[in-house]
Amino acid sequence: MTSPVLKRKSDLLTEHERHEIEHWLKRYPPEQKRSAVLAALRAVMHTDGYLSTAKMDAVADYLSLPPIAVYEVANFYSMYELDPQAAAKYSISICTNVSCMLCGSDQIVEHIEAKLGVKIGERTPDRKFFLKNEEECLAACASAPMMQVNHVYYTNLTPEKVDEILDGLE
Amino acid sequence: MGINIRHYLKSFTLAELLQGLKVTGKYLFERKITVQYPEQKTPLSPRFRGLHALRRYPNGEERCIACKLCEAVCPALAIKIELDERPDGTRRTTRYDIDLFKCIYCGFCEEACPVDAIVETPIFEYHFEQRGENIMTKAKLLAIGDEHEAMIARVKAEDAPYR
Amino acid sequence: MSELITIEVNGKAYDVRPGQMLIEATDNLGIEVPRFCYHKHLSIAANCRMCLVEVEKMGKPLPACATPVAAGMKVWTQSEKAVDAQQAMMEFLLINHPLDCPICDQGGECELQDQAMTYGKVQSRYQEVKRVVLDPDIGPLIETEMTRCIQCTRCVRFGTEIAGIRELGGIGRGDRMAITTYVEQALQSELSGNIIDVCPVGALTAKPSRYTARAWEMIAHATVAAHDSVGSNIEVHTFDNKIVRVVPRENDTINQCWISDRDRFSYEGLNSSERVLKPLIKRDGEWQTVSWQEALAHTHELLTQLKPEQSTGLASANATLEELYLFQKVLQGLGVSQIEHRLRQVDAQATQVLPAVTWLGLPIEQISEQKLIILIGSDVRHEQPMLNHRIHLAQRLGAQVFALNMRQVAFNYPVEQLAVAPAQLSSLLQSVISGLSEQGLALPNDGSTLELIQRHDTQNWVQGLLAALAQAQGKVLVLLGNSAQEHPYYADLATLAQLLAQQLSGHLGFIPPQANSVGADWVTTLAPQDEVGKAVELNSELDTVVLLNVEPEYDTANPYLTLSRLRQAKQVIAITSFMSPALRDYATVILPCTPWAETSGTYVNAEGTWQFARAVTEPKGEARPAWKILRVIGHQLSVPECEYVNIEQISFELRRLVDKHPLTPPTIQPVTTLRISNESGLERIGEVQAYRVDNVVRRASALQALVPETKAHIHPNTATHLALMPDTLVTVRQGEASLSLPVWWDESLPENTVWIAGGTEASAQLGEAWGRIELRAGGKT
Repeated sequence: MTSPVLKRKSDLLTEHERHEIEHWLKRYPPEQKRSAVLAALRAVMHTDGYLSTAKMDAVADYLSLPPIAVYEVANFYSMYELDPQAAAKYSISICTNVSCMLCGSDQIVEHIEAKLGVKIGERTPDRKFFLKNEEECLAACASAPMMQVNHVYYTNLTPEKVDEILDGLE
Repeated sequence: MGINIRHYLKSFTLAELLQGLKVTGKYLFERKITVQYPEQKTPLSPRFRGLHALRRYPNGEERCIACKLCEAVCPALAIKIELDERPDGTRRTTRYDIDLFKCIYCGFCEEACPVDAIVETPIFEYHFEQRGENIMTKAKLLAIGDEHEAMIARVKAEDAPYR
Repeated sequence: MSELITIEVNGKAYDVRPGQMLIEATDNLGIEVPRFCYHKHLSIAANCRMCLVEVEKMGKPLPACATPVAAGMKVWTQSEKAVDAQQAMMEFLLINHPLDCPICDQGGECELQDQAMTYGKVQSRYQEVKRVVLDPDIGPLIETEMTRCIQCTRCVRFGTEIAGIRELGGIGRGDRMAITTYVEQALQSELSGNIIDVCPVGALTAKPSRYTARAWEMIAHATVAAHDSVGSNIEVHTFDNKIVRVVPRENDTINQCWISDRDRFSYEGLNSSERVLKPLIKRDGEWQTVSWQEALAHTHELLTQLKPEQSTGLASANATLEELYLFQKVLQGLGVSQIEHRLRQVDAQATQVLPAVTWLGLPIEQISEQKLIILIGSDVRHEQPMLNHRIHLAQRLGAQVFALNMRQVAFNYPVEQLAVAPAQLSSLLQSVISGLSEQGLALPNDGSTLELIQRHDTQNWVQGLLAALAQAQGKVLVLLGNSAQEHPYYADLATLAQLLAQQLSGHLGFIPPQANSVGADWVTTLAPQDEVGKAVELNSELDTVVLLNVEPEYDTANPYLTLSRLRQAKQVIAITSFMSPALRDYATVILPCTPWAETSGTYVNAEGTWQFARAVTEPKGEARPAWKILRVIGHQLSVPECEYVNIEQISFELRRLVDKHPLTPPTIQPVTTLRISNESGLERIGEVQAYRVDNVVRRASALQALVPETKAHIHPNTATHLALMPDTLVTVRQGEASLSLPVWWDESLPENTVWIAGGTEASAQLGEAWGRIELRAGGKT
């Protein structure tokens, strides 16, 4: 009879995630596994679109960290999403900081909300779009207003341009 | 010599008696200051310190949060408080006794209260018939507060500008 | 020792030790500098900025906690610049701190309150909305009110550095940062209560003490905790003659400024409804409440009929030294020689080979100076949390810790651990010793006669040990833990442990299990020499049994056997603080004695320090200190020299007697042959659950909420072999005793072992804590 092994928390990690974490672990000294925590969470974000507690525990187990150390990191950076609602194909962040606001980002927000039928912080029912509540300046003031869709910047927005961009997304 | 003559004059003309009677006469016809208590009463200052009361908020919630500051500050050790957590999680007294025999009506309890729960009202007409009635329990104190809330609120508001 | 350097503080010159931080220097000099995040036993965070002081030639004020002293440094703690900085910091801290001091349990003893009074401005300029933080539920011991938190992170650092398990963390950032466990769960640390003390505000307070009394109303009594052999110094706070809470009392040689949760929250047990408040006598099978006179007269009558050869006395080693001494004196006066306090020790041979007093062998403080520590059969973290803290401290200072155990114990620091089934522990030790001798570490002369078998592969472990030994500079400590002492082959293990210690040229020490184990051993040495070493045998012909605060169903190695023997005994006189169903069943007379905190008496801790603990509250009901009860019984029975007027008289007499038997490093008369177990089948591991160790702790409600449900833990391989799935019921059988328990898979156990915690309701129905056990699938609920 083969020996049964209790499920470990890290068993939840996919092959891709493990591969990615291992790739990053090679860059750090072996006793500094925690250095790979950002990369590991990024890998999980890539597959799931958000960080579930179970997956964070899995990362903690994999890197031999106390789970709270991983929660702290995940909570600190706004690029990590902790809400399952955030798991969508496209995550849209519209900058509403000072420069963008002066150049009319409010209309862009209104337009997108009307177009997608969801409010900021919500996801379309088809899980295609998530309107992220972006609090920070996205650092493209020179070409305000702007938005970020997944990791791509779209600048000098007008409602028409937004339509064009969003309609162009698969 | 001259002193003696003046002395005799004073004695025989009853000057001092008349002088005294003059005062009597003056007050005989002046407006009387005697008050016919209990038919008549003198006005009371809004900060008069009489019988204690525990107040409530307008929504009916008791103010007292059992912080025990009044108990700590009381110089006569007249207050005894016991407390517990109410099922809704708030901190409340389970016992709030003031021994009116010990109380010296200094008003420190009122001063110490962070939520204006314990107050000394202008009520000074009360008596005890039985041993033990001198202990004002939480229920009695709240009842006084409930009965006189309008008056308490008025006197506190009147006194507020001077505090 | 390096030379002192001169610094100038507030215009006065002082000589200080270089290398320390400014705040340490000012603390030692008695100069007050406000602080929140700095704590002398924790790392420096410098995040509260409250300790800003002005330093010459520095543009900005500097945090005293993170500024090392330098020669010629000029510091002002109360200059305009410093005061300005302190007031500004205080204003910042108070921005988001609620004004709920009147309902806060910390009110009156709050560092923030005090420092706001001293260093704050009179009025706040902040008019905006304050933030609110939701409170996580972190278990039955600690109440959270996180809106009050000022993010000093002392609790987080305590978890990482002292408790060794990081459970609290700072979630979020900026103004939204909050201290939480994130996933709501009870804290696992056995030292978690200390975060209540380190918290400078009312964010973390003691849950059982919530809303009971204000800080200024309590009376503090300095005393000693009595649930482990460390004897942590504590302060018991009472209000209205009732214990409201327990906090540590600083003693750098014993417990520093920490105490275990067990010592902190056990006081709840004293107010249990199971306290016996009046003497009870069983007449015709019925319990009757009687007066003390009647009870004592009845006891006297029973004791005069006693048959000494068939009688025995069982005492709890949590009793005070004076009680244990009188207990022995009275019983020996009656001719009873079988008196025992090591109720979990089963190896009869052990009494012959062990030293009279099994103690730590060195001062507790010195544990943290060791460089190599080897634990044998010990879950020291749960048995003796404060000793574990010392080992943890040693580990942080560079020591390496090795362990030979009967399961993979979850330590809170890195430990090289080997675990085998209990029956194999002796052979594992033998393998290690022969492995070491192969590597050139000679066996001492008297050890060479022993035949050592080499059954286990210990090569890596031995290599690691040798590497650690090379750096240990002779600071080596071998400790025999509580599990080893309960082991059926304790004598062999002790012999081998001594051999190992000699091989490594290190100290050998025992971890005494209970508050007064060392004291009780010491008292035993005072008995006439021919009486010493007689093992107590509980046979079926028992005549009289006298119990001193013992609950045999929880406190003995074999509850099933002990209980059935007690039921067969002719008469059982129980001097006890607590009632239990079993006691009703077997006892003849119950004399209510006062438990810890209501009794004055001496406790001798693991290192042999005498600590006198004075009673802090009045006895409950008609309960009386056991020494008074024993004194009267002794007097009635005309036992010579039993007429003590006060407890000090007994303490003084004891001190004089014991001084003739000073503690010596524990040495063992080696056994001549080692026993080998060739039995096969399942073995039980029956360590006592940490919160079931004595009758007070067992009734402390908040701690009891942390005791997990008793399950039969088995290794997944063994479970699969026996076709047992987790959480299915199984019938556990030990001889006649049997019980249904849910199964739990546990990889930390060796194969073919069953772990069922001792001291629990379930284990009270079972037999030997360390012995054979059978499992059969299926059971009834």
